This record gives sequence, structure tokens and C-alpha cells, in this order.
Amino acid sequence: MVRIMMGKIHLPWKGSKIKEKGMKTLFFLSAISAIIVIFSIIFFLFRDAYPIFQKKGIVDFLIGMRWYPTGQPPLYGAFPLIVDTLLVTLGAMLIAIPLSIGSAIFISEIATPRIKAIIKPAIELLAGIPSVVFGFFGLIVLTTWLQITFDVPTGESWLAGSILLGVMAIPTITSVAEDAISAVPREYKEGSLAIGATRWQTISKIVVPSAMSGITAAIILGIGRAIGETMAVMMVCGNPTYGLIPNPITNVFAPIKTLTATLGIEMGEVATGSDHYSALFGLALILLIITLIVNILATIILGRLKERQRSGSKKQPIISFELGRKIKLSFYLFIGIIIVIILLMAVGIFPTVGILALIAVIYYAMKKISIKIKQKIAFSMISLTIIIVIIFLGIILAYIVTNGVGALSWEFIATGPSNLGRSGGIFPAIIGTLYLVAGAIAISLPLGVGAAIFLHEYTREGIVTKIIRAGADLLNGTPSIVFGLFGFAFFVLYLKFGFSLLAGQITLAFMILPTIIRTTEEALKSVPQSLREGSYALGATKWQTIRKVVLPPAAPGILTGAILGIGRAAGETAPILFTAVVFSDFIPSSVLQPVNALPYHLFTLATSIPGSKQNQAGTALVLLLLVIGIYLIAILLRNRFRKKMKW
Amino acid sequence: MTSNDKLIRTENLNLWYGEKQALYDITLGIIPNKITALIGPSGCGKSTLIRCFNRMNDVIDKCKITGKIFFHEHDIYEPDADAVEVRKKIGMVFQKPNPFPKTIYENVAYGSRVQGITNKSSLDDVVEKSLKNAALWDEVKDRLHESAMGLSGGQQQRLCIARSLSIEPEVILMDEPCSALDPIATAKIEDLMTGLKKKYTVIIVTHNMQQAARVSDYTAYMYLGKMIEFGETDQIFENPKEELTENYITGRFG
Repeated sequence: MVRIMMGKIHLPWKGSKIKEKGMKTLFFLSAISAIIVIFSIIFFLFRDAYPIFQKKGIVDFLIGMRWYPTGQPPLYGAFPLIVDTLLVTLGAMLIAIPLSIGSAIFISEIATPRIKAIIKPAIELLAGIPSVVFGFFGLIVLTTWLQITFDVPTGESWLAGSILLGVMAIPTITSVAEDAISAVPREYKEGSLAIGATRWQTISKIVVPSAMSGITAAIILGIGRAIGETMAVMMVCGNPTYGLIPNPITNVFAPIKTLTATLGIEMGEVATGSDHYSALFGLALILLIITLIVNILATIILGRLKERQRSGSKKQPIISFELGRKIKLSFYLFIGIIIVIILLMAVGIFPTVGILALIAVIYYAMKKISIKIKQKIAFSMISLTIIIVIIFLGIILAYIVTNGVGALSWEFIATGPSNLGRSGGIFPAIIGTLYLVAGAIAISLPLGVGAAIFLHEYTREGIVTKIIRAGADLLNGTPSIVFGLFGFAFFVLYLKFGFSLLAGQITLAFMILPTIIRTTEEALKSVPQSLREGSYALGATKWQTIRKVVLPPAAPGILTGAILGIGRAAGETAPILFTAVVFSDFIPSSVLQPVNALPYHLFTLATSIPGSKQNQAGTALVLLLLVIGIYLIAILLRNRFRKKMKW
Repeated sequence: MTSNDKLIRTENLNLWYGEKQALYDITLGIIPNKITALIGPSGCGKSTLIRCFNRMNDVIDKCKITGKIFFHEHDIYEPDADAVEVRKKIGMVFQKPNPFPKTIYENVAYGSRVQGITNKSSLDDVVEKSLKNAALWDEVKDRLHESAMGLSGGQQQRLCIARSLSIEPEVILMDEPCSALDPIATAKIEDLMTGLKKKYTVIIVTHNMQQAARVSDYTAYMYLGKMIEFGETDQIFENPKEELTENYITGRFG
């Protein structure tokens, strides 16, 4: 469209320039949405928490030894809740870390390609199970099993919470750790094998130490996930009316009350604006700060790891060898001391000495054992971890399928509940979930895609992208219950939406925004730079290039991200708990009316409606099928996309 | 020469990566305490062949081997032969220097450590001796406990040579050891190789014909997975029997 007139070049650029600028501004606005959301969350939590801080003092609130809001006088000490949260997380990590790292080593180093092709999706499947389904399983099966096996008054306890959280954290830790282990250069492995080291020696002395930073980040992410988890913990930990630290502190059968569970339970019955209300926002703020710190740590480690990979192997490792050794030593010492203390408290002095002696004997026996037998032992232990994980998955799925399949019928899907959900179907809950998810994706998809386009196409890596990415990462690490509280304070109260579909949709949209941004960015990255240059060379503008050349090949990747977001939104309970849902057979006719949803329906049946066993399992099965079906589509799409996109 | 003079001997060696055959009927004997060079154009299978000698191809999925490789007249691919034991006797230096992300000291001590040696003074001895044999001692003796990643490329490669010498193998396989190095570092490694053959048998894969001519005693020319010609280096370079070899040597193709 270039006309040459008397030596002058006229470019029809005025119109297109305005359009270009407009698009850029639009994308910029979507990009900063993540930051605006995270700051609004912090602002609203702080605003509503402020009165209690002012009244009781932040320090007293933090270290107060008793949480008893209904007492006379009411007590608002967050300390036992914080301790309980850390205890349940610690227990979960003791279970999840060995199982996850064993699984990660198995998948990346030991499994044959065929076994890997089965195991990896199985663990991804575990990640797809909604937390309310875990909670349901924990409440019905796990706590009963604990109660009978250990002959305790109730199975709802610290131990139940830790087991469940441990299993839930496995997929997160496994997948990040596996990425780290697979990223260890093949040259290291070959160098080690070529000098006569066995496979196990190579794994334990070269591969795992080289992947240590990534594994650390994986564990930290797992911790973040465990601390922020609400529904499962709330359903199996017992939640005594007043928050207490277990007595003695090693009593794993004591019922406990975590930060998230306190929010989940008490938020529903509190008078808006009261001290109790404000104190709950104080708890949410504490929870948010803990998880943000944890996630920032993980992000920093992973970020530096990526940088190091990009700049080649010349640079020093993040943790230098000597320092690494010191860290390792002090870590072992620390773990050792903790184990000794726990043993002393749990079984007394003589058995402790006996156990320690046994460990010493095993240690020295191990030194004498030949290298080959050591490898056999190590490989069997690692295979055992993966078998345990698969068994967990199998038990959960088998229980829900065998118990739920009896409830499934056309009537169950297509009619409303009767007799408080004991009989009848779950049609309103299905519709509610679909409405919520559709609204959430309609809001977050344009925002997320716009943000990703801005990050990847319109800016160079620099301070701006760093801040926006940090915002998205923080949002990603924010516990879902915190979204729920924010949604309540902002949409329900401040914007006066009331308990409504709309409030739930926007809250869910914010929660899945980081997923959409990240997957879209990955998809944009996979489009080779040469395609863009080809388009520019033909005189296309930036927006034309993006629309016609970049977005079409990236579309399947973006779609995958959207589907992952949908799956997550469909399974979440905590964000809609105080923004949108009611337990009813009501089907909303406007976005300002409340809805029912599958996860909430299941939660209510399982915790408050005795005699609804079959419909509980049926609802769990439908929810599971829905969410796993969605994930399955995403995984298939991703695999097809990967195969096709070999540039 | 009888077959007993050969330290390593292959018999009708065939190798497949999945469906694709990479080596065809290779029969070859390696003479001890000499340097044998494998030359040929890219993709001719020379790296694949050298990786058979210490069973490094075991690491690769879908790699299938038929035929025999004898080391001291023992078949190293026998079902009860142990790849780890083979690799203790036949060391390897790779194309790209691959020191571990550990200290210089720990890199060299690694081979002894995995064999269960923990005694500090014997480890010290091994490290010093190996670094001296690899002509690196003087350059690094004051910074043994610094990261090996801080060394130059040539130093890293000599460190890798020291690492493979540390467990006193009989054979050292070198897979294009100088391809990532500058000419000065290359010259140092070549000097080193000539010194090594007093104690060790060296097999080197190289892209660089001058290098093969300079350092090797025997040369094998490979093309498309087949052994075209094998003989003394002087004969191969001055008076090749096969036309294919001559074309490659004279630079008419390759």
C-alpha cells in the first residue's frame, strides 16, 4: 500500500498506528491486571483485618496462645492455629518428600519409556482430583481406618490431615523435581558411568546433587500447596472449637485446627464487621504472607536455575559445592535431632537408644555391602515409592467409583435433589458449576491471553515484565480460601453484588488467571521468531503479525491452558464458599443470584447431611469424571500439539 | 599378527538405533600401547563404534547390538559381563569437556570414591598423580578445592583425562576430545596423548585428519557405518588401498 508520488513516500500509517497503540494499551492493561488483583487482595485483607490489629495489637494477635472467638471474653490468639498449620504441613512433607523424590527419580532415571508413559499421566491424574473429593475420601475412609487401626476415639486428627495433604502434594513435588532431574546434562551422567560408577552411584552422587536446587524448589512449592489447602484439611482434621496446640506436641492423633480450616468454618457464621470477622481477615493475611514468602523463595530458586541453564554450564552452581556440603551436614544434623526428640517423647529413653543402635548397625552393615547389592536395595526402595503412590491413587479412585456408580442414573444427573440431597439428583449443582466455570473462563481468558501477549510480544525482558510475572506468580501461590475471603469483602460486600453467580465467577477467574497467562506464554514462545520476522518483512504491523501469524499456531497451546483453568475452577470449593454458593435446588436466572455447585454440594452432603452416603459418592464420582475428563482433554491436546509442532 | 596381540577385538559387530542400522559387520583389532584413530565423515558411525568399547551405548534406549567385542579375549557383551567392570578398565573422554559441578579435587577423586576408597591420603595421592599424568597439576595445584567449572575449556578437558586416568584403566577412549578446543589447547592434549601411550592404549575418534596423521599409529577409515580400511597410519595416509579412503584423505569429499 505504498504509493510513490513525486519522490515522496506516503504510508497509510496514521490509522494503523492508532490501532497499534490501542491494542498495545489494551494488552498492557490486561497484563497489569494480575498485579492489580494481588494488591487489591492484600489491601482488602488488610483493610478488614485492621480493626483487630488496632484493638488487640499485632503482636498479641500473632502470639496469643488461645483462639476461642465464642468464649467469654472471646480470645483471638493466632499462634496455635499457625503452629497447627505448620505441624500438619510438616507431617505432610515427611510423607510427600520421600515418595515424591523417589517417584521423580524413578520416572526420569529408572523407568523404561513404556512404564514412564503410564506412570506420568497417573501422577498427573492425582493432581486433577479436586480437594473436596480428597476431603470426602479422607472423612469417610481414612479417618475411620485410623480410628479402628489405632484404636483412638476419633480418626479426625493431625495424622489424617498430614496423610491427605501429603498425597495431595505428591504431584506438585514430583513434577517439578522430575523436571529438575531430567534437566541434568547427559554429559554428567555419561562422565560418571564412563569411570565405572554404577547407575545408582551416578544417580545419588551426580544426578541428584546437580538437581538439588530444583528439588529444593519443588519441595518449597509442595509446602506452599500444603499450607494453603483448605477443603481436605477442614474435613479431616477435627477442628476443635478452640484452637489448641496438640498436647504433647508429638500427639499425632490430636484434632487440630489450621489457619485455612478456621477460615473455612468460621467465615460462614460470623457477623460482618465484628471483631471475629476482623480477626478472620487477620488470619487470612497471615496465611497469605506465609504462602507468599514460600512461593517467592521457590520462584527465586527456579528463576536462577533457568538463568543458569540459559547461560551455559560455565557459571558456578547456585549452591557451591563446599557450602552445599555444609548445608547437607547441618540438614542431616537437624533432621537427626528432630527424630531423636520425637522418639524420646514418643517411646522413652530405652527404646530410643535401641532404635539408634539398630540404625547404627544398619549404617555400618550398608558400608560392608557390595556396591551392586546397594544398587539393588536402592532401586527396590525407589520402585516401592512409586508403587505406594499408585496404590494411594488406586484406592481413592476405586472407592469413589465402586460406591458412586450405584447412584449414577439419568435421574441423578437430570433432576434436582430432594430430602436435603439424600435422594434425588444433582442437576442444579451441575448447572451451577457449568455457569460458574463458563463465567470464570470468559473473564480470565481474554485477560490472561492479553497479558501473555503483552509480556511476550510487546516488551523486552526487563523490570516491567519482571514485576508483572512476579504478580502472576504471587497470584498463583495465593491460597484459594484467601481468594474466597477477598471475593466476599470486595464483590459481595463492597461492590454489593451479594452472594451471587457473578461474584463467584470473577473470584474463580482471578484464581485461574496465572495458569492462563503462563500456558499462553509457553504457547507464544513455541512460535519461532523467524515466522514473525517473515511477516514484518512483508510490511505487516505488529498487531497484524500477532493476529495472523503468531496466534493461529499458538491457539492449541492457549486452548490447553484454558482447559486446565476450567478443570481447576470446576473442582475448587473455597473461593466460591463465601461468594456464590448456597445448598439448594435453585437454578439462577440472573448473574446476581446465588447458585449451587458440585464441589459445594458434595462438601455439604459429606459434612452436614447424615444418611446421604450414596448420593455423596455419586456426586464425588460425577465431579471426578467432570474434572478428570477436562484434564484428559487438555493432556491429549497438549500431546497432539507437541507432536505436530516440530518446527 | 595373531589375534592374541589384540587388546580389543570386534567380530561382525552390528548396531541398530531402533530401526536404523548404524554399524555394519565391523571387524577390527586394537593393538596395545598404540594410538588408534577412527576417522571418517560425520555420521559414519565412528563415535557409535567407540562407545561400544566401554558399553556406553547401554545408556541409550532402543540400541541393539549383535556380534562380539573381546577385551583380553573376554566378550564384554556376554550376558553376565558387567558394564561397570568394563568401564573401570576402559576409560573414556568425551567430545565436550564434562567435569562434574564439583571441585577439581572431587572430580578426580570421584572414580576412587565410587569404588569405596575413603582414605584421605590415598585419595590425595590419586588426585596428585592423575593430575600430573594429565599435565594439569602445576596449573591447578593451588586451587584444588575450587569449582571445576571455573577452568578453561582445555583445562577442563585435561581434568576429564585426569579423571579417567585416576582409576588406572588399560584403555582410554577419546571421542573427538579436541573438537571444542582452540589450537593451543589442542596441541597440549595431543602432546599428552603421545605420552599416555607408554602406559595406556588409546583409541581416538577425530574429525581432523591432520590430527590423526600427527598422533596415531594406526588408522581406521569408516564410511556409512562400514569399516572401509584399517592399517598403519602412514600406509593409510600415503598409500591407501581403497579408493573411498583415498578420496576422503585427499579431501575430494567428506
